Amino acid sequence: MKILIVEDEAKAGEYLRQGMQEAGFAVDWKTTGPDGLHAAREGGYGLLILDVMLPGLNGWQVLQKLRQEGHQVPVLFLTARDEVEDRVKGLELGADDYLVKPFSFAELLARVRTILRRGRGGTEATTLQVADLVLDLLRRRVTRGGKRVDLTVKEFGLLELLMRRQGEVLPRSLIASQVWDMNFDSDTNVIEVAVRRLRSKVDDGYEVKLIQTVRGMGYVLELPESAAC
Amino acid sequence: MLTRLPLTVRLTGFYLLASTLLLLGMAAFISSAITHHFAELDRETLDDKVRLVQGIAASATSPQNLSDRLRDALRNHPGLHVRIVQEDGQLLHDTAGLQFPARLLRQTPGDPKGGVLEWHDEHSRYQGLVARLQLPELVAGQARIIAAIDTAHHAHFISSLHQSLWLYVLVGAGISGLLGWWATRAGLMPLRRMKAKAQTVTAHKLDQRMDVEAIPVELADLAHSLNDMLQRLQDDFRRLSDFSSDLAHELRTPLNNLLTQTEVVLSRARGLETYRDTLASNGEELQRLSRMVSDMLLLAKAENGLLKLPSPDRIDLAQEVQALFDFYEALAGERKIRLLLWGQGRITGDRLMLRRAISNLLSNALRHAFEDSDIVVELQQQAAGGVHISVANQGEPIAPELLPRLFDRFFRADKARVHLDTEGAGLGLSITQAIAQMHGGRVHASSDAGCNRFSIDLPQAPG
Repeated sequence: MKILIVEDEAKAGEYLRQGMQEAGFAVDWKTTGPDGLHAAREGGYGLLILDVMLPGLNGWQVLQKLRQEGHQVPVLFLTARDEVEDRVKGLELGADDYLVKPFSFAELLARVRTILRRGRGGTEATTLQVADLVLDLLRRRVTRGGKRVDLTVKEFGLLELLMRRQGEVLPRSLIASQVWDMNFDSDTNVIEVAVRRLRSKVDDGYEVKLIQTVRGMGYVLELPESAAC
Repeated sequence: MLTRLPLTVRLTGFYLLASTLLLLGMAAFISSAITHHFAELDRETLDDKVRLVQGIAASATSPQNLSDRLRDALRNHPGLHVRIVQEDGQLLHDTAGLQFPARLLRQTPGDPKGGVLEWHDEHSRYQGLVARLQLPELVAGQARIIAAIDTAHHAHFISSLHQSLWLYVLVGAGISGLLGWWATRAGLMPLRRMKAKAQTVTAHKLDQRMDVEAIPVELADLAHSLNDMLQRLQDDFRRLSDFSSDLAHELRTPLNNLLTQTEVVLSRARGLETYRDTLASNGEELQRLSRMVSDMLLLAKAENGLLKLPSPDRIDLAQEVQALFDFYEALAGERKIRLLLWGQGRITGDRLMLRRAISNLLSNALRHAFEDSDIVVELQQQAAGGVHISVANQGEPIAPELLPRLFDRFFRADKARVHLDTEGAGLGLSITQAIAQMHGGRVHASSDAGCNRFSIDLPQAPG
């Protein structure tokens, strides 16, 4: 999947490119509005990450021109301004998402993956499986190595999110928003506690620990590399 | 246009206009009264003279005798001109030197349209009339007296009176204009004093106040308003300065941690694991910083009134509180704290904002509640349509003097606990307060017998 980043700030652009590349995307990086617009017109990108404040043409103008010309490529905006009108304006112009600086890279990555996944849809699995952990969406049951794991409703939701996005580092804010519909940062360690409780039910007593903490970023559910080999 | 003229000029103008009008009216009245009076006087004099002539003429025995007697008699009456004419037009007597106007000569005595006639020639002004004369000794029929008196001295007097009156009007109006100007300036003196006072107010000298006692009642309101404005400015300015210094102070600690940690780690080669740890720890610190910045921005916007309710909705608060209980369930369970909800409440407001406000109260309660205790959220629908939301926990009592400061930014009752991981930036309650105020409500904290209660009162949304 190819991603175009248009960001005029050198350090931010460089790190975005590196981060995205390491997350497995092919990345082009442009530093001005007109360059970005030109590259986007060439096509072939699965997603545009646009800074709002750009030299030449601002992010909104780039998006407006693209949409007028009929390009339907998904667009995620980055901006330092957090005004409701700005947000509304971006979404009215046809942006798919919006992140306010400073944002965590894990959050950006999670949002990018959400947008890219949106298009796919299609086959809705009824069970999710990672190693010997099985989550049955229809019967709302979880088993590990064939043994039943009892979870509360929210724990089930949390596990479902982690399994659906296995291998992705999910930041706390995304988990709070997706599982509990809390679209603000809590000043507590509540997500940490919730994940710890889930982990004690899912991983305690098993040699392979599936739920891992990525310090400073969030949580990921995956088979540890050593066990996968 | 008129409103831009200086007050002094306007008021002086009004004074001038008013006094000119008054003086002119006065002068016109005096002039007309005196003129009228002199006309009466002249007429009476003329009547007297005519009666005198009638008396003298009545006993005349011959035309010559009439003329002589009249000449003798009229010698002592300068300015009186008499002509006596018979009915057939024959002249019986005439004082020389005056050409009577034809109009007068044509009049017949007793004609209701006739009467006193005024005229002037190149020498003087005159008043004349025509009267009957019985001359029983001389003439069978009637004769006429045509008499006139010279009124020049009265005309002179009146014209000089007019001159004096004009002069008086001019000088009087001028003087009253000057007086008006002086009175206006004197009257506006308090305003100038207020202006001088206002000029001394600067950002660093906001404690200046108008002296309301020394200002006339009419201006006292203005002075009061200005003083109130200054008070508000001073409060806001102080809060802003406090805010900046708080902010700098609050940023210093985490920045210092970041800097020291980074420099120490870089000072010599270390294992990969150390670098990873340091970066992760820096990342956590930075996340805290960025959260603080966005919270501060929210508060700054709320304080400047820039935060408008984005999307007011009808909200079932019990449902929101239940969702928050689900969220905090793990945290509460870990410390054996029970989350209880009493009552119901509905309000119109922004869902995300209100959820955040209550969430901050809950997380605050969770942080300070004793282990194995209850946190009770109570909702009370008020009769007027508003809602009372209170979150109570059992914990260490809060000193009464600290209660009002709990909602201040960066305020922590326990300074020692600042950098525990679970501790927020000390902005949560301020944000709750800002959100409550955004909805037109207010917050309150109380501490009583080990029960700490934080509440939000929201009024019925207007409209």
